[in-house]
Amino acid sequence: MMSSVPGPDKKSKLLVYTIEECPVCGQKTKRAFAVGDYVTKEAAKCSKCGNPTRIGLVYAESMKQSG
Amino acid sequence: MSILEGGILQVFAGINTSDLVTVVWIGFFALTFLYQTRIQSYMALSEISRGLNKLKVMKDKARKDAIDYLVNVGKAPGDPSQRVDQFLDYVAIMPVDMDPAGIVGKVDHIVTTNNDRVRAEVGALLKQNNPVTVSISENLLEVATSLNQIHKIVRHYYLLGKKTNSYFTLVQLQMLMPMIIQEADALLNAVDSFKLGQPVGDGIGPIVVSRFMAGKEKRVIAKDTVMTITEYKGRKLYVLKADGPMAYVGQPGVAIQKIVGEMGVKPSAIVMIDAALKLEGEKTGEIAEGVGAAIGGIGVEKFQIEEAATRVKVPLYAILVKQSILEAITVMRKEIAEAADKVTQVLNRVIEEKTKEGDDVVVAGIGNTLGVAQ
Repeated sequence: MMSSVPGPDKKSKLLVYTIEECPVCGQKTKRAFAVGDYVTKEAAKCSKCGNPTRIGLVYAESMKQSG
Repeated sequence: MSILEGGILQVFAGINTSDLVTVVWIGFFALTFLYQTRIQSYMALSEISRGLNKLKVMKDKARKDAIDYLVNVGKAPGDPSQRVDQFLDYVAIMPVDMDPAGIVGKVDHIVTTNNDRVRAEVGALLKQNNPVTVSISENLLEVATSLNQIHKIVRHYYLLGKKTNSYFTLVQLQMLMPMIIQEADALLNAVDSFKLGQPVGDGIGPIVVSRFMAGKEKRVIAKDTVMTITEYKGRKLYVLKADGPMAYVGQPGVAIQKIVGEMGVKPSAIVMIDAALKLEGEKTGEIAEGVGAAIGGIGVEKFQIEEAATRVKVPLYAILVKQSILEAITVMRKEIAEAADKVTQVLNRVIEEKTKEGDDVVVAGIGNTLGVAQ
């Protein structure tokens, strides 16, 4: 029963990304999250076909995972 | 050398080392036998005290973050500290349950009154009425309130155990401390995601249904809840979620009651998508299917959905995405976000298998819709 209170956090740092998806050609672009981003928000033009993209996902990856 | 010192040396001169060790051991065993619980109580007290200090730091940080957000983002005029402190101690008294008939309605009434009060209070604190900022402020204050409450309860039992010298009170609290700290840590971590308006793990249901709603006409069906009527392979879908990108959970229970009641829809199935707490050993982002109302909370919404489904004899199907409590209330992890495509496939399969062309189907994305519009 000794020292059962967890010690200081050893969590890895999380990096948050925004995924922009083109509804026409399906092209996906990954960039760093910016405040104000939300899922379904209209985003930049598609680099492949030039159509407006939408934010499809916002998620976090640990620094270790992203290399 | 004094006479006394000489006497002591003479006494010890007659005892060999082995006898002395035996005496010390017997003394040690007698002490531990007689004072075992007292010693363990001291150890428990010191450990709980460490945890309590940690909880105090956490609740102070959550309070400070909430105040900073109200001042810097919400542009609260003046210093909101005093109002925030009053807010942290506000209580919602649950109705008496001696006569349980109709208690869900009473609980609903108390909870709705409390939610309205929170929004009015936050609205009065802020200089602007941006719904996203107001909803984030509500959530930050709720986190600060929860941490304040946890700290108070732990401190109560710590002081009670100390005052009454109650070994069992202290040991029980000591054993619970790791879980309490873990929950408090999850709450504190949620603050960062809320402040930045990032979708949380609990928002996986809303993300999936938002794909059926994006670019289509929406209508408000219940408080903070929106619905879109769309079509999928000849079926008419009534898709609903909380109104995003605000940090709302909405009232899906009221919405489903309206669809099958006021609107007179006779759905062939109600499909609910929600986050579910995983058991230790289960993988984050794993998908589980089942039957029943997939919704957490105090139970009011669940009751309303079960009641509506039973009244019109509609099967309830659940699609769950597994995650821990920390993952559910902090920024959505990659494993959970990547489950969205698989959940959409499962949802399509459930609709195709359980209903036929021309049927009506209700699809509800349950969870906090922060950072997820429609």
